[in-house]
Amino acid sequence: MSTRSGADRELVIRGAHVLDPSSGLDGVMDVRISGGRVAEVGEDLHGVRELDASGLHLFPGFVDVHAHWRTPGREEEEDLESGSAAAAAGGFTGVVMMPNTDPVLDRPALVSGLVRRAERESRVRAYVAAALHAGLAGSELTEMRLLKEAGALCVSDDGPGTQNADVLRSGMLYARSAGLAVLLHCEDRSLAKGVVHDGVAAALAGVPATPASAEDAATAAALVLAAETGARVHITHVSTALSAALVGFFKGRAGVTADTTPHHLTLTDDLVRTLEGLYRVNPPLRPEGDRRGVIEALRDGTLDFVATDHAPHAAQRKELPLQEAAPGFLGHETAFAALYTELVLGESLPLSRLVEAMSCAPGRWVGGLGSLAVGAPADIALADLEEEWTVERESLSSRSHNSPYLGRRMRGRIVGTIVGGELVHDRMGAKLGVRT
Amino acid sequence: MSAKDFISLENVGREELLEVMELARDQEEGRLGRLLEGRTVCLAFFEPSTRTAASFELAARRAGADVVSLSSGTSSISKGESLVDTVVTLDRLGMDALIIRHPAAGAASLASRHTSAAVVNAGDGCGQHPTQALLDLYALGKSLGGFEELAGRRAAIVGDILHSRVARSVIPAFGTAGIEVSLVAPATLLPREADVWGLPVLGSVDEALEWGAEVLYMLRLQKERMSGALVPSVAEYARYYGVGRRHLRPGVRVMHPGPVNRGVEIASDVVLDSSSLIPDQVSAGIAVRTAVLALATGSVERAAA
Repeated sequence: MSTRSGADRELVIRGAHVLDPSSGLDGVMDVRISGGRVAEVGEDLHGVRELDASGLHLFPGFVDVHAHWRTPGREEEEDLESGSAAAAAGGFTGVVMMPNTDPVLDRPALVSGLVRRAERESRVRAYVAAALHAGLAGSELTEMRLLKEAGALCVSDDGPGTQNADVLRSGMLYARSAGLAVLLHCEDRSLAKGVVHDGVAAALAGVPATPASAEDAATAAALVLAAETGARVHITHVSTALSAALVGFFKGRAGVTADTTPHHLTLTDDLVRTLEGLYRVNPPLRPEGDRRGVIEALRDGTLDFVATDHAPHAAQRKELPLQEAAPGFLGHETAFAALYTELVLGESLPLSRLVEAMSCAPGRWVGGLGSLAVGAPADIALADLEEEWTVERESLSSRSHNSPYLGRRMRGRIVGTIVGGELVHDRMGAKLGVRT
Repeated sequence: MSAKDFISLENVGREELLEVMELARDQEEGRLGRLLEGRTVCLAFFEPSTRTAASFELAARRAGADVVSLSSGTSSISKGESLVDTVVTLDRLGMDALIIRHPAAGAASLASRHTSAAVVNAGDGCGQHPTQALLDLYALGKSLGGFEELAGRRAAIVGDILHSRVARSVIPAFGTAGIEVSLVAPATLLPREADVWGLPVLGSVDEALEWGAEVLYMLRLQKERMSGALVPSVAEYARYYGVGRRHLRPGVRVMHPGPVNRGVEIASDVVLDSSSLIPDQVSAGIAVRTAVLALATGSVERAAA
């Protein structure tokens, strides 16, 4: 993220309902920002520059540990500017970019180059996940220590996943010694030959299907190896009830964390009955039973947080029959509203748990984010929980439009996003106008 | 089915089936004439086909339509043009009906969103093959004395149901016609959630006959699935899931959408036995597809939509 003039100036946000489970904050109060950090949280604060946020909710900025901004290589689908604009529009102030770009982020020069570009071009804090294996090919280890020096936050073979258990084990051992967390996409490709979940919808539609065991078997193997190696392992986009239960079993036996996605929490494989390429995603949308299992695992903390797997695709890669379409959904801009609507309003998930899962827990995982404690970076999401809106192509900041929520009515919307004390997304103009 | 398209037989009512059957009979008895005169019909085949393509083309031509044929070997399809781009181009050329075959389920449905022409699904991946099921109903009805005679009969659908677009159209069509259906296949050739159809699953053709099947509807086993991880051998498959002469009890009819793997799904000496409706299925194709094209293009009024 660029250093901007104004970031050092003081700003007081007044009258918002502040909710930060990590600091125990829950009530209408004011927040003073100075030097890009939270300086004070309390009542009746005033400053030279004030922002009236009455009627809004104020959360620590959301952190997304799983995003595909397509840079380098596929900038026509997303780039650092559009990806970070989409993130900011969704209240995300920190994002981890996955390494399955073109070329793959498997060399230190590529990582340091992307880190520098992100500092210049991204509106939000952007972190790099480097490849665990060269070319994501699952054979040769990358230079993890050099990658870390170049600025990599963690390593991952996201996309193909690491298919060989022995190779994965070595990768975990080496990553541990390099001091890097391993982010795992768990999928056994010998089982994953289809494009949708092997369930009722697949039976009726006649589309090649992948059984849930493709994810469950790989998750089980990864957890066993994590326990053995002592590596810091994070399992991303958990989508089945059994995988969530397996994570729960291994919590305390291994240094394991896990996330799930907004779409696996809010959508089911009923959608694939339409056979539209738009609804292809990996892991696939699951039946209601899995969705319920994943919701409960998020509710009780078995699944630590939410990550979007934001995966933009050009229209020509999605406007195809389901089995020919590229897998992936946009995620940043709809995550909060979808989860607020479906889980908080629909399933009685406490709003504080949602904030913990979108801000505090992923912020801790990245390190030093997701908190409004005095001295923390002034990264903030402002939400209007009363606003009702419909997701429309034209309103999306991403360069692509492959949102599974197009046309859906939602409640709750991010109206402002602040990173390091600076307003990087302001949808409301007048409402958020800073008064000097 | 929407008012103009024939894409899937899920949720198609009895009235609509009856309408196709009656029109097909009219066609066969020469009462329809050249009712597609002045219409343009395009066959867009994104995967190879012999009998379906020929059947549709003859149906359209005999009814007086202008016919344009595109196939994956001879058109921009082979240059990598996308389905949507091809359909949009054809739409601008002014087609009344687009008959589409494609290797991916959902292709016909996707095409219908990009054209004002009526879209007829001629087989999409493992999805649907509605005109096959309609001609099956017609051929079976004819052999039994009429569409009304179908209700209460028992039919077993035998073979590779998992990968069969024919099965996905025959199951709802037979059900709507009042036929009781059972499925006969090893677990490797059934969808994991085959229970969704609410039909009995039986272990062999013999069991199907014990269950009371009067119709043995045999599905083609693709060569790549004849041995290996899905089926141990042709011999074992043929023993349990093939029809032999010993199964030909009085009243039993054998059907197959073709082409038949002789000695696999059906013993050689049964293919052209009097119990086999396979030739009738083929000849029903023209009448039924004429009826479908007439309804799709609005050349005759459709009673139910």
